[in-house]
Amino acid sequence: MNNQIFWIVLKRLRAPFIVIIITFSISILGLILIGGIDDQGRPYQMSFFDAFYFVSYMATTIGFGEAPYTFTYPQRMWVSGIIYMTVIGWFYAIGSIVTLIQDESLRKEISRNRFRKQVLSLGESFYIMLGYNGVIKDIINRVGIHDYRFVVLDKNESKIDELTLENFYPHVPAIVADVTNQRMLKMAGIHQKNCVGVISLFKDDTKNTQIATICKLLNKKIDIIVKGSSPRHLEHFKSMGLKHVQDPFDIVSKRIYYSITAPHIWLLEMWAYGHSLNLRNRDQFPHGRYIVCGYGRMGKAIEQGLKKAGVEYIMYDIEAKTYEKQNNTTIFGDIKDKEKLLELGVKSSDCIIAATKDDLLNLTLLNKAKKLNPKIFTVARENSLEELTMFQAAKINKIYVLEKILAESTYNYISKPLLDTFILQMRKKDEEWAKVIVNMLSEVIGMSPDYFEIKINLENAYALSLALQEGKEITLAQLRRSRENREELLPIVFLLLKRDDEIFIIPDSQIFLKLDDQLLIAANDEYKNDFEYIVNNLYELKYVLGNE
Amino acid sequence: MNMHKIISGFFFILAMTLNFGFFYGNPEVLIDHSAYELFAAIVVNLVATVFKLGDKTQLGAVLLATSLVADIQLIASATVWAFSLYVLDDFGAEATTAIVSLSGGALLANIVSVILFISDTVKSKR
Repeated sequence: MNNQIFWIVLKRLRAPFIVIIITFSISILGLILIGGIDDQGRPYQMSFFDAFYFVSYMATTIGFGEAPYTFTYPQRMWVSGIIYMTVIGWFYAIGSIVTLIQDESLRKEISRNRFRKQVLSLGESFYIMLGYNGVIKDIINRVGIHDYRFVVLDKNESKIDELTLENFYPHVPAIVADVTNQRMLKMAGIHQKNCVGVISLFKDDTKNTQIATICKLLNKKIDIIVKGSSPRHLEHFKSMGLKHVQDPFDIVSKRIYYSITAPHIWLLEMWAYGHSLNLRNRDQFPHGRYIVCGYGRMGKAIEQGLKKAGVEYIMYDIEAKTYEKQNNTTIFGDIKDKEKLLELGVKSSDCIIAATKDDLLNLTLLNKAKKLNPKIFTVARENSLEELTMFQAAKINKIYVLEKILAESTYNYISKPLLDTFILQMRKKDEEWAKVIVNMLSEVIGMSPDYFEIKINLENAYALSLALQEGKEITLAQLRRSRENREELLPIVFLLLKRDDEIFIIPDSQIFLKLDDQLLIAANDEYKNDFEYIVNNLYELKYVLGNE
Repeated sequence: MNMHKIISGFFFILAMTLNFGFFYGNPEVLIDHSAYELFAAIVVNLVATVFKLGDKTQLGAVLLATSLVADIQLIASATVWAFSLYVLDDFGAEATTAIVSLSGGALLANIVSVILFISDTVKSKR
């Protein structure tokens, strides 16, 4: 790549170089041939060196005067001619160099070169992000310093500028490039050993499919995280063997389903996404009759969820674009619309979901419904993050921001893989089980427990790993002791234990730990530190285990 | 017929012939070697080098390398001349042989360059 710049420079500088060589040589030759007179009045001829010296400082406009002796008139006439010739040649050369620096293709090449170097110098594992937007920004900010680094490609220059202004720490290498271009993907390090995966969350499913195919061809080993929402594309992704497909509509549908049928499972999931572990009535979806407005991808996904939950519902096929064409506005609520809502049975329904592509339409539709039936539970789909305050002000019960859901679930997948597994496993359990877990968590830890992941190895749990290497048998229960007083329990909950491919959800406290086990633990910050002390410090561990 | 080929070929060969013209003669007698010819050889060699710039092919790179060798040898030859004339003030047989043999090295590089150039032309099908 480096050569590219070199060749561009050389090719562009051909003409100026030739001009300089020719003007200089003509000037030098002339000065040598024209006779002069030295300080004692004797005729003399300039030597090659004298002439070269004089022309060099004349052409560059440094001008030390006439050397070695004062010039005669024939010499001066020649010099006055060559001044213009060489100086113009010199300026032309400098001008070419300056334009070269500003040259678009050269600058592109230089920025690519810099990008390539930055990617090569990434020591940590990294993900390649295709396209930059609010979701990606959110993910980068959340993942933070410790877990992964990112490389961003975007076709749009202003997006990349935006990213540069964001000043991420650690630095995020970014470049303007077509994301389906194989050369650029290679440059972004798709072949590098520490490249973990590619993240492609474009709105356009076809584009995601194209990218997934290219990436799969380029490197079979990497993880490909794509967004997909239409059944056809989801099927395609499945046949390609992609491990992780992000479908925001599916997530919404599942959430609604669990909220209706198993609120505690839903609560645990929401907690995993950072909400408090408190089941409030106003958060819960009501049982009763549902109206779903919008029968697009989201509407269909919601329908599936409702059908599975066995709830009575009615679909209202309203589409933002056709509505706008008919009424010249996306503000919902003239007499015809009101009649339509009444016809759908808004007064006897318990919940209305506005799931069209247009934010304004969703908002006004819910407002109207609320006027007709103040008790109705309102749910809105929000497409872009910018209008969040407007939705909040409208007192809508539940807002699904697709971008945010996408960011959260991708973040969990990348940075908290155990938590992601926990959610998947948890969904297989029933409501009773979830209720017990929620009670346990809130009793042991409190209303807003935090969670962390730890891998039992020398790096993260030094003392414990040493003990395990010696062949000691240690159970989870033995580790759950306070380091101030080993008779007391440490208020933490082991949520998940992962051993190779085996997964134990809420592992038995008598299970024996092994090296390289991965644990997901719920605890407050303080007790998280305590636990880390215990597994890392030899003396703490000894005390907690109780064998002095 | 390619105009660029004609001009660059002209300069490559002229660089070699001028170089040879300077080199030819008794290496211990400075009168046999004209300073003007050395000057012309340097200028033409520089121009030939510029014509070889920016060619990304394998052959282009080798041509450029040979040309750079010739430039350095010829400029070194001229520098030795100026140095022994003005700084050392002693123009012995040693200086003369150094000047001529340096240009001889440049001649070899120029010959290689011309052979490469011609072989490339012969190889290419019109």
